[in-house]
Amino acid sequence: MVLLVLAAIETAVRLGMLNAALVPPPTTVAQRTFEIVASGVFLAPLGTTLYLLFVAYFAASLLAVILGLLMGRFVAMYNLFEPLVELLRPLPKPALLPPLILFLGLGDVMKLVVVGLAVFFPVLINTVQGVRGIDPVLINTARTFGCGRFAILLKVILPASLPLILAGMRVSLALGMILVVIAEMLAGTGGLGYLILDMQRSFRAQIMYAWLVILAVLGYALNAIFLALERRVIHWSAARSD
Amino acid sequence: MSITMLRIMIDPGCPFRLKAHWTRPRLDTFSHRCYSAFFERPQADAMDPADNSAVQDGAQLQGSAYLRIQGVSKSYGTETDRMKLALYDISLDVAEGEFLAVVGPSGCGKSTFLQIVAGLIAPSAGRVTLDSQVVNAPPESMVYLFQQYTKSLFPWRTVIDNVAFAVEHKAGMSRDKAREHSRRYLDMVGLAESAVRYPWQLSGGMQQRVAIARALAAQPRVLLMDEPFSSVDALTRLGLHSLILDLWQKQRFTVLLVTHDVDEAVFLADRVAVLSVLPSTIVRSIPTRLPRPRDSIATRELPHFLELRHQLLEMLLGRTQIA
Repeated sequence: MVLLVLAAIETAVRLGMLNAALVPPPTTVAQRTFEIVASGVFLAPLGTTLYLLFVAYFAASLLAVILGLLMGRFVAMYNLFEPLVELLRPLPKPALLPPLILFLGLGDVMKLVVVGLAVFFPVLINTVQGVRGIDPVLINTARTFGCGRFAILLKVILPASLPLILAGMRVSLALGMILVVIAEMLAGTGGLGYLILDMQRSFRAQIMYAWLVILAVLGYALNAIFLALERRVIHWSAARSD
Repeated sequence: MSITMLRIMIDPGCPFRLKAHWTRPRLDTFSHRCYSAFFERPQADAMDPADNSAVQDGAQLQGSAYLRIQGVSKSYGTETDRMKLALYDISLDVAEGEFLAVVGPSGCGKSTFLQIVAGLIAPSAGRVTLDSQVVNAPPESMVYLFQQYTKSLFPWRTVIDNVAFAVEHKAGMSRDKAREHSRRYLDMVGLAESAVRYPWQLSGGMQQRVAIARALAAQPRVLLMDEPFSSVDALTRLGLHSLILDLWQKQRFTVLLVTHDVDEAVFLADRVAVLSVLPSTIVRSIPTRLPRPRDSIATRELPHFLELRHQLLEMLLGRTQIA
């Protein structure tokens, strides 16, 4: 299917039905992509983007899981944070870019924060749901074996809610990708998002598409890696994504 | 004062509405006893003065049984909600090493009762003592076997690690040591072969055997069983009965079993206590006096077995008046 569409575009461009300056022939894009990859030029921008994505992703996920465990376990914590969460959660995170730029400038901190915000909420919501959905029998079992509160949290509640936490983290990974690209477009200095916009502005469509291809492959690869890890971690669960 | 009257007074539309003002009843009626169960502090209500002073001194209770349930009541809801009295003034003494069964109709609060004994939920009145210590959190020497074995086993742990859960948090217990310890108990329930499988890969009967192995691996002095055999098929159940009796005879722990199955209660227990419908209370306690070791087939054919079964079923089906 993909090949068919590519072949159609290729033919259309070669026949002059599409403007080659706007839509370069896929073979050329493939060639440009290969050049970028083979020369190793892609490493630096990829590194910038992945650094922003991963730091924000893992930090935000960790915070979300911790807060989610507390909110799911303690009603007081839930009541305390729930209004704030419900206020911030539905807000489209790109809308926060202008105020964040105002507060934090154009540097990495701003990008990390906005990506982190996007990552945070799906993980948080799923963690709370996961914790609240645990059968009390499971927790009571641990209690009757003399497990303390902390041990129960670590050995029962965390693993039991892991399937939902990971489902949230998978959604967040895609959201994080989106936000990191947008943030780089608005205030970037070398990441993938910045390059795509930069190439477009300098009318280098071929290279712009080449970066898009790299971005697509990156997204696909990250998702595939995530699924593989998830399968290993929660192989016992019927709720895993595959 | 009747519950209906109370409800009328609480009703916001009632012209004679009292502001959460409760008139204390004078007569010793059933509702008065309920009232006491709700609102008077457990110690004052449920214990005799001698016991009270003994507890304050932290000394041993005089002539106490191993596991004592004293005047335990449980109600749900607050005074403004509709109140529901689930358990009323249950007292029961269990001797060390005894196998006591509590039978009662469905929905009579058997699980609630057992969870109070386990220290999982607090009673509204009364108290539970184990070896003269008041139970207000799950004691280490007491283990609870849940009816829902599928929900009480950890699906992310292998069979052996599920069993190891019982001991791995104890001091000086390494992972290998815990596993080695657990393997012995898996052997006892005949599941050594399935050690590295996951619970959800096993049949219901096998899962409950894992749960039994895990319970016993904790080396409890009291085993609380909440209808543990009710969700397996009839033949598996007979096998599990023999297994639990065998293990009990070898290890001599104390058992408190709640069940709705009269046959099971008579077959397993030294004594059967009968729980009434809501609000539940113990209406009778009958020693079985059946010879041990018991046999799945022969014991059930003894005239005395049939007699007990008859007597208990009559009570539970409401055909006899219980004094």
